[in-house]
Amino acid sequence: MGKKILRELAWARSGDKGDISDLGIMAKDDKIYDILKKEITPEKLKEFYKDNVKGEIEVFPMDNLKAIKVVMKQALSGGATKSLRWDMTGKAMATSILRMEIEVD
Amino acid sequence: MKKIKLAAASGYWGEPLDLPKELAEREDLDYIGVELLAEVSMAILQRWKNKNPKAGYVPDLIEILKLILPNTAKKGTKIITNGGGTNPMQAGKEIKKLIEDMNLGPMKIAVIEGEDVMDKIDKLLDDGVVLSNLDTGEKDIRKIKDDIVAAHAYIGSEKIVEALKQGADIVIGGRLSDNALYVGPMMYEFGFDFDDLKMMGSAITIGHIVECGECSVGGMSNFWENNKEPWNMGMPIAEVSENGDAIIGMTRDSGGHVSENTIREHLVYEVHNPNEYIMPDGIGDLTKAMLQQVGPNKVKVTNMNGKARPEMLKVQVGYYDSWVAQAEILIPWPNALTKVKLQEKIIRKRLEKFKLEPLEINFEWVGLNSAHGVVAPIPEDEDTINEILLRISAKFKDRKDAETARRQCLMGSLIFAPVGAAFGVPTPVRRIVGLWPTLVPRDTVELKLTMLEAN
Repeated sequence: MGKKILRELAWARSGDKGDISDLGIMAKDDKIYDILKKEITPEKLKEFYKDNVKGEIEVFPMDNLKAIKVVMKQALSGGATKSLRWDMTGKAMATSILRMEIEVD
Repeated sequence: MKKIKLAAASGYWGEPLDLPKELAEREDLDYIGVELLAEVSMAILQRWKNKNPKAGYVPDLIEILKLILPNTAKKGTKIITNGGGTNPMQAGKEIKKLIEDMNLGPMKIAVIEGEDVMDKIDKLLDDGVVLSNLDTGEKDIRKIKDDIVAAHAYIGSEKIVEALKQGADIVIGGRLSDNALYVGPMMYEFGFDFDDLKMMGSAITIGHIVECGECSVGGMSNFWENNKEPWNMGMPIAEVSENGDAIIGMTRDSGGHVSENTIREHLVYEVHNPNEYIMPDGIGDLTKAMLQQVGPNKVKVTNMNGKARPEMLKVQVGYYDSWVAQAEILIPWPNALTKVKLQEKIIRKRLEKFKLEPLEINFEWVGLNSAHGVVAPIPEDEDTINEILLRISAKFKDRKDAETARRQCLMGSLIFAPVGAAFGVPTPVRRIVGLWPTLVPRDTVELKLTMLEAN
C-alpha cells in the first residue's frame, strides 16, 4: 500500500454556515472516488484537523458527482461573525484538506 | 417546450458593479435575481434602521438597479431581489422614485414584508417552542434575549409567485432565501406547486447553481487556470425548460468559464447534507443530478429531484455578543520564529499585569499557519523564514476591557518587541454580533404583499 496526498487525487471547495465548515472533495477520476469513499472518514478527519474542529463530523458520498461532502461542526472558531481567525469563513479549508494522506493501492 | 432564462446580477453584498451592468447589456433575460444578503447582514441592517427609519435596505441595490434598469425595462426582464433587507418598503419607494427619475415607467413594484419575528419570540417561548441553537445545540435562547438585535425568518417563493401573478416588474423582499429569487419565477412560469417534488427539486438545484453569482462560472475555482480573463468575470445564466432540465451558461464575452467541473464544484459548495439541501420552498436532493458539457461554456443539468417542503422555517437571530481587540505586527528575519514567540509572551504577560482575561485569544502567524491552522507544517530552520505577520485577536465581554487590552497590551507591545517589528495602522476595537440560527413553525410568519406603481 502506498500513500499519496489528496492534492494529487482530488479538488476541493469549502464554505460555511454559522460555525459549520462545509467541504466538498471531488475525485479526479472514478477509481480515485472509490478509494476516497473508503478512506475519508469522520475519524480520519478528526485526527487530521485535531482541535481546529471541535464538533461532530459527517461524511456523505455523492456518486453522481464522484465527490465526498464533509460537514464539520464547531469548526470555524465560532463562525464567521465570532471567529478570531483570519479565515473566518473557512475558505482555506479547501486547500488544507489537500495535505491529507490517503492510502492508495 | 417552454423555456425561460434566469440569471444572477449579484451573489453577495459588495458584488462589483460591472458584472450586473454587463449582464443586463449583453443578455436577453426573462428574470434577474439580485441577491445581497449574508447570514449577518440582517443584524447590520437592523442597526442602521434603528438609527434611521429610512435606512435598513442594502444600498448596493439602488446602485445595481441604476445600472441594469435601462436594459431590463427595454427587454422586459423582471427583477427579484432580497436587497430590501430590514426595510423593503423604503427600498420600494426609492426604486419607484428611481424609475420615475429615469423615465422608465410605468412599472409595478411588489414589496414583501413580514418575516421579522423579533416581536414574536416571547409568544413562541410561552407556547413552548424551544428555539434552540441549530449550530451549537444550546437550548435556552433566554440567556441572549436582552442582547438580540434582529430575528428574521428565511422565506420562500409564495409571495414572489403572487407578485408575478399580479404583474410585478420588480419584486423586493427582505430575508427571501437566496434560492427563492430563482425558484419563485420558475414556479410562476411553469405553474408547478410545492408538492411537485421533481420540479421543486430541479428549481432548488438550479437556484443553488446561480445564486452565488460568479462562483459557478469560474469564481473561487479549482479550475482557475481555465479562466481566460479572470479580471472580467461574468454571471451565471440558467436556461430552464419546463421539464426541469437546465443549461447553465455565463455572460456573453465574459472572462470566466463554465464546465462540468465548475458546476460540480458549486454543487458540492455550502449545501451540507447533499441528500437534503433544505430550503424554505422544499428540499433538494443533489445526489442524482447529472452534468453534461453541451457546448463551449454550456453545461446541461438533468435528473434533479427533491423532497417535501419542511414544516419549520429557519430563523436567524443576531445578538450582541462581545468585543474584540486586534493588532498586527510584522516580524522580519532574522530569528522571526523566536521573536514571534517572545512577542506572544509579551502580550500574555501584559494581559496578566492588567488583570484582563479574554474570553478567547488567538495568535496567528500569517505566512506560516494562518490559513491551514494545525495542519500547516512549521519550518524547522527559522533562517528560511523571511517574515511573519503576527495577528493577535482577543475577545472580551465588555467594551471597556477590549479598549484596555488594545491600549495597554497590544499597542505598547509593538515597541517592547525586538528590533525590526513593523506595525501598520492600528485597528479600533470592534463589536461582535453572534448568530443563533433556530427553527419556528411555518405559520409564525405572516407575509404581506404591497404593490407600488411607478409612473
